[in-house]
Amino acid sequence: MSGVRWPAAGSRLSLISTCIFSAALLASSKPAEQSRIAFENRQEKSGVTFVLNNGTTDDKPIIDSTLGGVALLDYDNDGYLDIFFTNGASIPGLDKSNRRFFNRLYHNNHDGTFTDVTERAGVAGEGYSMGAAAADYDNDGWADLYVTGVNRNILYHNNHDGTFTDVTQKAGVTGVFGNKKLWSVSAAWIDYDNDGLLDLFVANYLDWSPENSRVCGAPGRRLSCPPSMYKGEPNLLYHNNGDGTFTDVSAASGIANSIGKGMGVAIADYDGDGWTDIFVANDNERNFLFKNRHGEGFDEVGVESFVAYTDDGVPVSSMGVDFRDWDNTGRPSVFVTALGGETFPLFRNEDGKLFTMASYESGTGFATFRMSGWGAGIYDLDNDGYKDLFSANSHASENADVNPQQHYRQPNGVFQNLRNGHFQDASAEAGPALRLRAAHRGAAFGDLNNDGKVDVVISAIGSPAELLYNTSTGSNHWITIETAGVKSNRDGIGTRIKLIGESGLAQYNAVTTAGSYASSSDKRAHFGLGRDSVVKEIELRWASGTVQVLRNVKADQILKVTER
Amino acid sequence: MLVLLACIPAPAVRAVPCSGAEQLMLSIGKELSAGNVSGAEQILREMDSTHPECAVAILAHARVAEASGAAVEAEDFFVRYAEVVPNEARAYSYHARFLLARGQFPRADVLAAVALEKDSNDVVALAVHGEILDMNGQTQEGMKLLEEACRLDPRIAEAQFRLATIYDRLKRPVDAVQHFEKVVEVDPRDARAWDYLALDLEPLGEVERTDLAYRKGLAVNQPGPHFDAFLDYNYGRFLMKRNNLIASKQHLDRAVELTPNVRAPWYERAKVNLKLKNNQQAREDAERAANIRDPQGIIIDLQLYVLLEQIYTRLGNAELAEKYAKLSQRTPVPPRKD
Repeated sequence: MSGVRWPAAGSRLSLISTCIFSAALLASSKPAEQSRIAFENRQEKSGVTFVLNNGTTDDKPIIDSTLGGVALLDYDNDGYLDIFFTNGASIPGLDKSNRRFFNRLYHNNHDGTFTDVTERAGVAGEGYSMGAAAADYDNDGWADLYVTGVNRNILYHNNHDGTFTDVTQKAGVTGVFGNKKLWSVSAAWIDYDNDGLLDLFVANYLDWSPENSRVCGAPGRRLSCPPSMYKGEPNLLYHNNGDGTFTDVSAASGIANSIGKGMGVAIADYDGDGWTDIFVANDNERNFLFKNRHGEGFDEVGVESFVAYTDDGVPVSSMGVDFRDWDNTGRPSVFVTALGGETFPLFRNEDGKLFTMASYESGTGFATFRMSGWGAGIYDLDNDGYKDLFSANSHASENADVNPQQHYRQPNGVFQNLRNGHFQDASAEAGPALRLRAAHRGAAFGDLNNDGKVDVVISAIGSPAELLYNTSTGSNHWITIETAGVKSNRDGIGTRIKLIGESGLAQYNAVTTAGSYASSSDKRAHFGLGRDSVVKEIELRWASGTVQVLRNVKADQILKVTER
Repeated sequence: MLVLLACIPAPAVRAVPCSGAEQLMLSIGKELSAGNVSGAEQILREMDSTHPECAVAILAHARVAEASGAAVEAEDFFVRYAEVVPNEARAYSYHARFLLARGQFPRADVLAAVALEKDSNDVVALAVHGEILDMNGQTQEGMKLLEEACRLDPRIAEAQFRLATIYDRLKRPVDAVQHFEKVVEVDPRDARAWDYLALDLEPLGEVERTDLAYRKGLAVNQPGPHFDAFLDYNYGRFLMKRNNLIASKQHLDRAVELTPNVRAPWYERAKVNLKLKNNQQAREDAERAANIRDPQGIIIDLQLYVLLEQIYTRLGNAELAEKYAKLSQRTPVPPRKD
């Protein structure tokens, strides 16, 4: 065998030059002002003192690395998002009675400060909590809250007076399946059968208990054991009966047939058939895509749709996920966070049926190789009309630094959409808040101060939570749409929104609180508008099938739309 | 090893009759490092005529014989050299290095130990013993010796290379890069080291430096001890990630020519063909890959099933797509290496 020189360099460089030229042409034709994505952490002055406490022990049981969901919900209907944090418990007792393990609810005072109302609201919780999902499940106009956990899931009904009542048992959403409480991480409110009532999907992780807990790594420097050391668990689907109770349809719907190691869950109508589908990010197992069989159940089509594995045919440690249209094609795509050395998969929805893994093609492959991510979001952070990516980062193992190339505490990541199918790692330029190294976990997205820019609230193990206010530069316009269903569920969850700005740029989003990691985000659908000060047309396709069109809508407002 | 020989200090024996011999020895080392055995033989003939009584000529004969592939003859010279200068560490360490390269690990280890008894700072012996310790699973101990060898003589390319490959295996790319860079600094013709360097630069996000390392490696990838049959394969994969699909395919074409009985190049060429929408060609490559066993598990069966499912879906062959979808779902995933 003889060596051969391959003079590929010249042709490669010329191709790159062509691409850059084309990208510049494309960018210059867009209406948006070029802006810099930036965030400012205002936690210190906010009154939010929450520190995520995993109650870890020397053995570093696997539960200590996977908690930390955050929810943004307006529980008192004052028009401002409040913040709910989940928290851990003692190990091995999984007991939350110590106040430092309380879940916490902070009321938004509308001036950048928050007040801890946990105890008054009655949401301190029980057991080792993981995630949260907020939505109005009983259509009474008030946001309710579901909290997932290792040994206890809780459904809180909103009493309309600043307090909540635990209705878990009565509602029948305990997270128990076959007489066993499963370890629930994330949950999603979804009206899967379009009957106007929100159903509940619960993503479950591993068969772990204090009794079967495994130990990995050297004494004194224990590591979080890999998920392969435990059996996976089925996910759960609860059908809303409309009377405050739910029926477990996990088996009947086909959901429970797929055993995985679910961490993140996100919903979207990926095939545009009017029925919402479900993506589950599984940790080192193939991901699931549950295709909705028109309300009659689900088929798991992850492999057939090319989202189960990476384009290298292997699973990654999928943790967080978001499911939105980032390339303005009208087809929701998938962004998944994973461990360092794997890259974060970005699955582009080709045609409503098949996906292509576009991580390297889009420019996020090399950039995310060294990141370990949890919270994940696809949001237009600079209001230019193109959704960007955000990841809340940290390695899983507290002692990961035994390997000098690994880092437990990591800065978060933000990737700016260059409007040509490519993203650019903008983390380093996004301000000191994006350089803060911490054991980040859940991230919830929403507009905390109603200024039209999407903010991010992130929990971090052993550190104060971060309130990242969006301070991106530029004067791009925006609109936020708050849906109120009548025939559809009250929150309007599942409503698909198409928006055409006066420049002609079409964008798409859907109403959901699900996505990210174990977290629940602003239910209001946000759109950046670039230089468009007027929206030519807004088309809402409600879950009920109703299609509603609004024309010539002024930008820079929170628009409340009631289903007609 | 050839590089090591070029770097050794001159022995003190037979100073008067051997005057100038060490210089010739160094010249032989340089020629051998360059892969020029006939040039080394020419200098050796000169040495034989000018220094017939000098022991170092025996060592020179051993080295040239080793480079010529005359193993029996080489070993004979190594033994004779040790008989003539039994107290000299390099009489054993080079022999140990020779045996190590031929897989005679226990003998190599014994001779390295003898060399270290004579001179605890003999870098060749340190490197040999360190490598053997690593092979025996005593990685930390082996690394210590290799690090010591590299500290004593930073230009000892083989020890640098061995240490770097251990760091590569331990997924410590920062450390691996540091040592591979030393190797290519000492011997820029080492295509293997360029390949490794590129592989370890990539996870650090050093995309342009990765590309450059591959190109430098390809430029020197000539037949010889440092030839790297997988360089085109690795570069082809990298170019696929850079979305430079045409160039990627060119290198993967070359990779399947070089290693037609290895599964991985066929698999990767199938992937790039699929990306290029050459679906029929992708099918042929993937089926070829599926017919090649991969005992090392570089490309596991699951990866092939996933790829074949995608290819047959693109080809509109629902039956085979379904077959491979089911295999993809049923095949257990490999455990994560935490």
